[in-house]
Amino acid sequence: MTTNTPAVDVQTTQPKAPRENYLNCTTSFKSWALTLDHKRIGLMYLIGTSLAFLAGGVFALLVRLHLWEPEGMLFSNPTYNQIFTLHGAFMVFLFVIPAIPGSLGNIVMPLMVGAKDVALPKLNLLSFYLWVIGAVMAVAAIVMGGFDTGWTFYAPYSLYTDQAVVTIGLAIFVLGFSSIFTGLNFIVTVHKLRAPGMTWFRMPLFVWAIYATAILQVLATPVLGITVLLVAFERLYNVGIFDPRLGGDPVLFEHFFWFYSHPAVYIMVLPAFGIISELVTVHSRKPLFGYKLIAFSSIAIAIISFLVWGHHMFTSGQSTYAMFAFSFLTFFVAIPTAIKEFSWVATVWKGSVALNSPMLYTLAFLIIFAIGGLTGVILGALNVDLHLHDTYFVVAHFHYVMMGSIALAFFAGLHHWWPKMFGIMYNEFQAKIACALIFIGFNATFLPQFVMGSRGMPRRYATYVPEYADYHKASTIGAMILGTGVALMVFYLVASLFIRKKAKQNQWGGVTLDWMCPTPPPHLNFDEEPQVVHEVYDYTTLDYETLQRDCD
Amino acid sequence: MINYLIQEPKQDPQGDLPWDGVPAHEIDFWGQLPVQAGTFDHVDGLFYFTYAVCIIFFVIITGVLLYSVFAHRRKTWDQKPLSNVTHNTPLEVVWTIVPLIIVMIMFAWGFKGSLDMTTVPHEAQRNTYKATAKQWNWTFIYPDATQSIAEVYVEVDKPVQFILESTDVLHAFYIPVMRVKRDIVPGRYQSVWFHPIKQGVYPLFCAEYCGDDHSRMYAKVHVVDAATMADRPWNKVPAEDKPVERIAYGARLARQLCASCHKMRDTDTVVTGPSWLGMFTKQGDTYVGRQREVLEGGVTKTITTDDAYIIESIKDPTKKIVAEAPYNKNSMSKFDTLTDDRVACLIAYMKSLADN
Ligand code: HEC
Ligand SMILES: [Cu+2]
Ligand SMILES: [Cu+2]
Repeated sequence: MTTNTPAVDVQTTQPKAPRENYLNCTTSFKSWALTLDHKRIGLMYLIGTSLAFLAGGVFALLVRLHLWEPEGMLFSNPTYNQIFTLHGAFMVFLFVIPAIPGSLGNIVMPLMVGAKDVALPKLNLLSFYLWVIGAVMAVAAIVMGGFDTGWTFYAPYSLYTDQAVVTIGLAIFVLGFSSIFTGLNFIVTVHKLRAPGMTWFRMPLFVWAIYATAILQVLATPVLGITVLLVAFERLYNVGIFDPRLGGDPVLFEHFFWFYSHPAVYIMVLPAFGIISELVTVHSRKPLFGYKLIAFSSIAIAIISFLVWGHHMFTSGQSTYAMFAFSFLTFFVAIPTAIKEFSWVATVWKGSVALNSPMLYTLAFLIIFAIGGLTGVILGALNVDLHLHDTYFVVAHFHYVMMGSIALAFFAGLHHWWPKMFGIMYNEFQAKIACALIFIGFNATFLPQFVMGSRGMPRRYATYVPEYADYHKASTIGAMILGTGVALMVFYLVASLFIRKKAKQNQWGGVTLDWMCPTPPPHLNFDEEPQVVHEVYDYTTLDYETLQRDCD
Repeated sequence: MINYLIQEPKQDPQGDLPWDGVPAHEIDFWGQLPVQAGTFDHVDGLFYFTYAVCIIFFVIITGVLLYSVFAHRRKTWDQKPLSNVTHNTPLEVVWTIVPLIIVMIMFAWGFKGSLDMTTVPHEAQRNTYKATAKQWNWTFIYPDATQSIAEVYVEVDKPVQFILESTDVLHAFYIPVMRVKRDIVPGRYQSVWFHPIKQGVYPLFCAEYCGDDHSRMYAKVHVVDAATMADRPWNKVPAEDKPVERIAYGARLARQLCASCHKMRDTDTVVTGPSWLGMFTKQGDTYVGRQREVLEGGVTKTITTDDAYIIESIKDPTKKIVAEAPYNKNSMSKFDTLTDDRVACLIAYMKSLADN
């Protein structure tokens, strides 16, 4: 630091006035509410989706508490049915689908490609407000009497039940458009706004993942939109589409629904894969193993995932040919997924592995995702699925993927980019405790569900046969631990905003562009247009000085 | 939210639970599956095969992961990695091909098994039951057209097929010990079959969410031997000192056997046979039959519709035929296999129609 120019000297010796960044460049309410800055929109998404997650989490805890007793502890059966529906609908439509692309995708992806903003900033803001409208409508549906259809809205039950199905259906329609616009925006951004020198194969894998997700969002979501509209239409005007009494076909609904909702699983999980790819390399300080294979496997998954929806309907009386094709492709899609997992582990191998909290969350992800993925293989087998379908085994499997993997990846990403976003660090010790609690609590919640599922416990039961009581109790205790971990996490993250412990300019030692711009980034991200001159994840170029320097 | 807070607190369950008297599933050696009472062994076989493969992969993945996290952990803040390798083609080929082969085995095995489960053998077709699901109970109709509610008896060692039907929303027919599950779609018939080989009482669950009491939509499956089956335990006539049950039983028989021709409720519209409404009138405590013109051997007579006449009408319908058109043209089929006890219940039901 001996050759500092005077200008820098002023900065280091008088740390009073922080450098202007996207958080403090303007402060009026309007400058936030109508902002076109991808980082601010991302932050608003972060707050919104996190609130939805907490609401969904409260519903989950209520469900688990209720099931403490075989005859149910808290609610009448119809109320229980509403609560589990709310849990599912909030988590899926308001949190898991929008959370990563909306918040971390929005904030980090443009930084990673070296852009000033997303390609269509106004559309981005519109996406966010559509999300808000959707969320408000979902809450309105609760006030209007709730809905008890399960998040899958299977016809004809969703046509007959006397609850606010139309409202929540329209909410999902609106949320769908939010998702489509985000996808569109990201596709254009990746195609058009990459910095000079950022070739496709120099793109960080998070960008690849967000890109593959965006394609799915644009192609699959319209089907969901049309389906919920048809349900609303049928309820309002008695047109026979799905109702057998009017000549409709309930199985058609299932086809439509899963034609969206299976790809949606990958809309949810691909961004999580992206985060993990990123974190594994940064915290191992080693290039990602099998970069190209991972990038291609994202695309392969995006394509194949359109062709496996029937595996949700093996018991619906599909033709033998359909069963054959859907089961085959389902097993097939396991391969690119397995490749990713192997590549991540190989990346850690012989790395310089930092055991900080983002990495701990990542490790938790890798273990939990292994279980989630492998149990999916068990379900892909046709004859076994006829036994396990619609039991707690399936519930446990998809929670390992949705909650255990996607939410954990989201937490990992949040901890990883938190210093980037705010220029401050949370309490690492508390973060490690929370991660341990979440990991233990999660497994304690869902491992017992595998066992009771394969023993025959059907899902969506408000009361149950006493032989499953011990497993339900274990699961409830696990959920309490999990809830404690999440509460602790929320606590120290929020607390860090007040304690304001300064983060480093490059907190973890990343070499992608998101760590090259100032921390926190200025309104237009980069002081001068970045040039990409080396391969992605080339840690020989790591500037160790930035690891020690406090951020601006 | 308010809605939830002001809901009535949960009531204690009224009366018996549907699963009272059904023992908990017996669990197999590995602790995962209920011991099978059917013959779909391939389900258990493939389940445990896949399970074992999963455990092996899981141990390898987490083993390597945790080892390298421990062995290669960063001890100084500027520690460099031990290697900068970015790929290894042979390794990548191996970990693509090996899982591919394994999952293809699982696929073929599972597909073959599912063919077995969806192809109904002839023996099962000759032993066909019907299960009707509605919110929130099960009704079973036996091959001999008798019926039972919330429980069903099947004979051990005799393959059986169930034709499934729903009168309202989606349900699913799920017997864990038999490893069978099938969605029941309103407006379609579905079928499942299985081959019970172990006597006992087992749960049948509704596995597809169907509304308020989905979790109560439970039936007992009794697997019994041929002798018990011949006795038709589901169809036992209530004892004579239980008049209310006898009327209810008579009503069930009448709905099954007679309602296709006789009107017995205000809402019925059939006119093939004479209506039962008005057959009796109540005078004080006794039921009095109406006057009827009948043809016996071509001669018109007037008789009273008393018990004797009704028994005769059921067991030997052509002896006296109602003279009024159009009933004189149609004749009723014989029900001479109905036991006297059952006929008595039917008569009790007919009389009870005069009560209101
Ligand atoms: C296939 C249609 C059909 C079925 C099924 C049927 N019946 Fe009839 N039943 C008739 C017809 C037609 C008559 C009038 C002609 C006759 O007396 O045989 C009749 C007449 C009767 C009568 C005389 C009624 C009167 O008003 O005099 C009785 C009693 C009777 N049925 C009882 C039964 C019972 C009990 C069953 C069910 C176990 C039954 N029927 C099932 C068609 C049927
Ligand atoms: Cu799927
Ligand atoms: Cu049901």
